Amino acid sequence: MPEFLTGIADLVWPFAIALAWVLGELVHRVAGLPRITIYALTGFLLSQTQAGLLPAPGDGAAMLFANIAFGLILFEFGYRINLRWLRANPWIGASGVVEAGATFAAVFAVAELAGMAPLPAMLLASLAMASSPAEILRVVNEQRSSGQVTERALHLSALNCVLAVFVFNIIVGLWTFQHSGSLLGAVSNSIVLLLVSGAMGVVFGFAVPGLLRRMGTLGGDATVAFAVAVILLCALAQSLRMSPVLAALTFGFVTRHRRVTLGQAQRNFGALGDMLTVLLFVFIGATVAWPRIAAGIGTAFAILGARLAAKLVGVTLFAHASGTSWRKGLLSALALSPMSVLVLAMLVRTHAMGIDLMDHLAPLAAATLFLAIAGPLLTQWALKLAGETSEKET
Amino acid sequence: MPLEAYKSSRPLTLGVELELQLVSLSDFDLVDASPDMLHLLERKRFPGNVVPEITESMIEVSTDVHTGHAGLLSQLHSIRDSLVQAGDMLNVGVCGGGTHPFQRWTERKIFSKPRFKQVSGLYGYLAKQFTIFGQHIHIGCPSGDDALLLLHALNRYIPHFIALSASSPYVQGSDTLFNSARLNSVFAFPLSGRAPFLLRWEDFERDYFTRMEDTGIVKSMKDFYWDIRPKPEFGTIELRVCDTPLTVDRAAALAGYLQALCAHLMEGAEPAPAEDDYLVYNYNRFQACRFGLDGAMVHPQSHETMTIRDDVLATLRRIEPYAVSLGALPALEHIRQAANAGNDASFLRSERAGTGSPEGMVDAAIRRFRDCAPPSLAHNTL
Repeated sequence: MPEFLTGIADLVWPFAIALAWVLGELVHRVAGLPRITIYALTGFLLSQTQAGLLPAPGDGAAMLFANIAFGLILFEFGYRINLRWLRANPWIGASGVVEAGATFAAVFAVAELAGMAPLPAMLLASLAMASSPAEILRVVNEQRSSGQVTERALHLSALNCVLAVFVFNIIVGLWTFQHSGSLLGAVSNSIVLLLVSGAMGVVFGFAVPGLLRRMGTLGGDATVAFAVAVILLCALAQSLRMSPVLAALTFGFVTRHRRVTLGQAQRNFGALGDMLTVLLFVFIGATVAWPRIAAGIGTAFAILGARLAAKLVGVTLFAHASGTSWRKGLLSALALSPMSVLVLAMLVRTHAMGIDLMDHLAPLAAATLFLAIAGPLLTQWALKLAGETSEKET
Repeated sequence: MPLEAYKSSRPLTLGVELELQLVSLSDFDLVDASPDMLHLLERKRFPGNVVPEITESMIEVSTDVHTGHAGLLSQLHSIRDSLVQAGDMLNVGVCGGGTHPFQRWTERKIFSKPRFKQVSGLYGYLAKQFTIFGQHIHIGCPSGDDALLLLHALNRYIPHFIALSASSPYVQGSDTLFNSARLNSVFAFPLSGRAPFLLRWEDFERDYFTRMEDTGIVKSMKDFYWDIRPKPEFGTIELRVCDTPLTVDRAAALAGYLQALCAHLMEGAEPAPAEDDYLVYNYNRFQACRFGLDGAMVHPQSHETMTIRDDVLATLRRIEPYAVSLGALPALEHIRQAANAGNDASFLRSERAGTGSPEGMVDAAIRRFRDCAPPSLAHNTL
């Protein structure tokens, strides 16, 4: 490649980010769409398989930045999860388990009806259980939302993600066992990944606040301190081929539950978080390829319909018992619409394990793209209908 | 609307209103949870009364009318337990404290109710900055004249109540150096301060209220934000200078202290109040807000200077006989210990130093409200 061309290639990402940001601001102001929706769409349109502009994601600096951005969001997400609540109000946990179980069953049934083999159908169903914490938290922060629907969406999303990771790993184990015949080899890979990544987060959760306290800087703004720690953790995890996302999530969660109350870290990690979010969602959009979408579009819609219905029923069922109104229960379920980008994070890992899920699970790509656009919109809609967003008072 | 007729009530009956903070248990910031809390509390009979306040992160509870400290305290305990239970269901922490130490007033939402929206329209940012939390104590008086006399006789004791209840050292993330920074927000309102020096209800109605009403500035007693104001429809005077303490025990003790003090004043045991008493009033009030129990107050008649703590301790000794007959001795004992050990503002500052963050103060406040444990125990509840 001539030298000036490599120079241009380096410029592609900054330009894509600039474009996504400008579009995001404009469309957000004019149409009120969540910004991340626009970022993802921009990434999708510019990606290698569509316009051919962005280099293929999956390696290099962009991947590291995306992991860091994702890590920052998940740290904050982990920090906002209050385990004691699940103990004080067991109905929240009950609705989480029922909702995730119902989603699995419904999606599995639809996928089988559509002619998928049982194992891929189960994989797909396990992925459909998870609601994306990143998208929900971004919308919550963008709308400055607070109240029961907000709290429930965040906690239920955490629950169904944990369940999804658990079920997904069991099924991947079965899958690889069928292909390779070695059960141990199949599961050990993902179990080691989970354990080591989690342990890294725990270590940071103990070490970082301790260090900060010793330095005597906790009283000030802790935003930079924790951002630096998350960046370090993500880079470490990525270089060790562990899961940066999981490590960051555990880090936030442990920090919160040791009641090491932070000095006020800015929501979203302030301007840094906003900036990296643009990159993250452009990146996510760019991982989806159109030919794959076209292949599974019909099944995708059937699956998404079943998923939404299962979540609505599962969460609403327990609304009254868990101390809120039927209406807010229904809206909490609606807010759970975004499908997890954890999906993609996990796919990248399984790819390294020699399984290409996107190839096997044709409807997944279409579902992911559709929800990248519609998911945040539905969440935003639910929060607005619940009256939990901060209206701009004029 | 003319001033309501003064409704006679049994002397020395008492009742308490508390404005409480609703805090997210996830990040310890204020959370706009009052609609959700009220919805949940409506399901069961509430052991008292609960209403929304101007912003959605506040809730106001009030007790029935009581004759003594014990009944009041037991109802406050039931109220607290109901609130804590509802909060647990909703991931909401409930706590006292005159201010939230780091909430940003720009984030607050005005509760959807016409009067609140109207107040917000009139006062602009003052309304949102009014996300502050006070305790109001009502004392029953048989007639309007009695009410006004008692109201003015209390003028020299106002600093006691400010200093003993003070629990608002931090505002918007910074140490204000005040014990009660909350009252600074109240003073920003044009109709705050003290009631005019009129000792007969007839005069108050004719020479003050009606004339003020004619100017168009006020429509009812609600428009006055005085430190103590008469409440004719209840037949009480309402003391409004207290920060909401961190525990309901302290709230009940303050009410018991006020009750015994009023019994002492109603006997005519002290020189009658005079207009000139108010010469030192604002200065003493500032000392109490700024320095708490260590503040120096000037006696309005002898012009002698003493610390507020010493004056509280001396007063406790003077009013003890009245407390015996009212059953308020446990309240006085609580106040004596508080005067010696320090108020909630000093507890919060020590939590700030110990945990290293403003969130740590809120966490400690939530635990104290829940357990009412003394500070030394509260540290170990986790």
